[in-house]
Amino acid sequence: MTKPLTRVRKKGAVVLLALFCGQGATVLPAQAQSILRIGAIPDQNPERLNRRYGQLATELSDQLKVPVRYVPVSNYPAAVSAFRTGSLDLVWFGGLTGIQARLQTPGAQVLAQRAIDANFNSVFIANTSAGLQPISSIDGLKALNGKRFTFGSESSTSGRLMPQHFLAQAGVTPKQFAGGQAGFSGSHDATIALVQSGSYQAGALSEPVWNVAVKNGKVDPNKVKVIWKTPSFGNYHWVVRPNLDQRFGKGFTTKLQKAILGLAPTNERQKNILELFAAQRFVPAQESQYQPIEEVGRQLGKIR
Amino acid sequence: MNRLKPAAPLLTLLPAMALVPVLIVTWTGLHGGGLSIWQQFLLGALHPSLEPDLLQAVWHGLGVTMATALLSWSLSLLFGVLLGSACADVVWRSWSLPTWPATGLRRGLAIPRAVHELVWGLLLLQVFGLHPYVAVAAIAIPYSALVARIWRDHLDSADHRPLDALISAGVHPVSALMTALNPGMGTVLMSYGGYRLECALRSATLLGVFGLGGLGTELQLTLQSLQFRELWTGLWVLAAVMLILEQLLRFWRERSGVGVHGQRRILLFGTLAIVLGVIGTFWLRHIVPDQFSGLSWIGMEVPSWTQLNAAATELPWLRMILETLGLTVLAAGIAIGLPPLALLLWPSPRWHRCCSMFWACMRWIPPPLMVLLLLLSNRPSLAIGALAIGLHNSGVMGRLLLEGLQQQSDLRQEALRAMGSSERISWLYGLLSPQSPSYLAYGAYRSDVILRETVVVGVIGGSGLGWQLLESLSSFHWAAVVLVLCCYCALTISGESLSDRCRSLWLQS
Repeated sequence: MTKPLTRVRKKGAVVLLALFCGQGATVLPAQAQSILRIGAIPDQNPERLNRRYGQLATELSDQLKVPVRYVPVSNYPAAVSAFRTGSLDLVWFGGLTGIQARLQTPGAQVLAQRAIDANFNSVFIANTSAGLQPISSIDGLKALNGKRFTFGSESSTSGRLMPQHFLAQAGVTPKQFAGGQAGFSGSHDATIALVQSGSYQAGALSEPVWNVAVKNGKVDPNKVKVIWKTPSFGNYHWVVRPNLDQRFGKGFTTKLQKAILGLAPTNERQKNILELFAAQRFVPAQESQYQPIEEVGRQLGKIR
Repeated sequence: MNRLKPAAPLLTLLPAMALVPVLIVTWTGLHGGGLSIWQQFLLGALHPSLEPDLLQAVWHGLGVTMATALLSWSLSLLFGVLLGSACADVVWRSWSLPTWPATGLRRGLAIPRAVHELVWGLLLLQVFGLHPYVAVAAIAIPYSALVARIWRDHLDSADHRPLDALISAGVHPVSALMTALNPGMGTVLMSYGGYRLECALRSATLLGVFGLGGLGTELQLTLQSLQFRELWTGLWVLAAVMLILEQLLRFWRERSGVGVHGQRRILLFGTLAIVLGVIGTFWLRHIVPDQFSGLSWIGMEVPSWTQLNAAATELPWLRMILETLGLTVLAAGIAIGLPPLALLLWPSPRWHRCCSMFWACMRWIPPPLMVLLLLLSNRPSLAIGALAIGLHNSGVMGRLLLEGLQQQSDLRQEALRAMGSSERISWLYGLLSPQSPSYLAYGAYRSDVILRETVVVGVIGGSGLGWQLLESLSSFHWAAVVLVLCCYCALTISGESLSDRCRSLWLQS
């Protein structure tokens, strides 16, 4: 009885050893290929993100003659860190995340933005039962004192940073909301849903997302309405890593910028891409446009 | 002198007291404003989206999730068993060595366990960049530490008489340990190890952080954009996978015999775990081939002493710690107390099957979804967060409890019933009572997990250490991150020593 068992064990040991060796060998780094990796902050539903960046990757690959991959990072700070560590080469960042990424990656450049990104707005919305009247000046935000209030995602420029900034200008800090703190719904759509349900009495989100939700009939105008539209600020932009010219040949960054700026609704695929970005064209962007956001970010401790 | 000791089933049921304040707060905050969204959510269950693009994405995500789960599960079992053995007193004693290194290692292992896998992911990402193996490591590190703790507890609380006899007869410690402890530990490995695979599957949400996609990411992003029909596609697929896995594990357990046959099966299980790990590795390399670029240390800024000092003074530590503790205690109370209470209500097999299905649902719904659904018809409060986390984890505890009860002989219950006890009392003292010590031990591990999971409920209003951790991570404020993580470690270590002490005081004679 013992003999076959020992044999089984011995055989087992050899097999295990072989497997360990095999597993060890596969951990060795594979060869580095020159692939242009594009990414984005996760501010849309995944299916739209996949279509948007999948088509863009194909388009850029055809134009630039290099392999392009979309890497779907699902977390704002992860996208920033992936850009810093060189795992992403070209990223569609929001205002705040773009500045964080550029500050952490010396030499990173702003390539382009959409026309609306130069003058982006947030809206403050309120549940009709909260008794909040439309606000005409920034001081009117004082009415939110003591209400249940929610932002969107922690790193969102239009769903958190700028609304918190305007609230601070009116003298309202998150501590003054009901419960001593603001909620963080995680996304613009969740903010609409939670304010519409009445769980939160008011919230702030990106104006384009609000407009789309209204257009698609996802908003009940009897339950939730806009009480204030913020002054405009700079938002989304393409940011590119500094070392692309070394990796893909001289002048690659310029070619990449031309390819993005050159996207036009004349060609079927390019038209699709622009539609998915809700843009007519991409336009050049200046770093200086984002200076005000950087200052706000520093004031509120989101940029260190 | 006899010390006053509470009865074991009482200790098991007592945590359910947490339901009282939570339900009162929930009841007073209830409103119907979110009904239309609830309706959309439920309708989505009947009409999940079947778009070819989405199905393809879900299929791909499923592959990535399975491959990573297999690999990280295999690694965590392997390292968990090794580390767990290394920090068990009984192992050191077998070589007649002092046991303080084991104690030291045990305390040290609280650190990887105290940090949520999402946070591990974000930290490792800082120094290694996006790489599939880094994602695997982020899951495997806390899981190994968890398996190690359970392995060590079972090793140390096993019956040591056969071992002592073998050692004193001059048998080599390795052979003695293998021979004396193998049968009991094999069962632990198979039952708990099998269950960890399900955990690894569910926790693969983290993969999105590494740009690998995966089912969890699909669920997270569809939830964020409230695309319920797309969300349901992912949920149904997850349900199917969990169900198949459960059936396979049950089949395996039922077929595993005793004695030599059982031994061989345990050996086979170990081999299978490793083989599945290797399969996971190749599968992953096959699915996402071009993300396997070289793995290199990138490095990051380390916060200076002055920065740490500044961060220590700027944050409201006491309030954050109290909120986190409150949330953890309430959620753990619900998670531990609800399953035995539910089973006690009506001790019949049919009701128990209903409970089992309810718990499967609770495990299946991801906590962020649960929080959002609860919050849609309630005011934001700590109670909502506690209820969501508690319900999710009660699914896990319920499963472990039922499994334990089924493996136990019902002779005591029969005896009590024969003496005229009612159905309920005989169940309570005949079945639940002997099961209580090991159930409460699992409850203690679960509290660890719950403490980590408080990270996910920022939506109820930025509260506690968990939200502060995410906020500091998204501000790249490393000094605050370090301090919050230190708090988590301190809480985990004190929780562990508290639960160890309670157990030795109340549950062991």
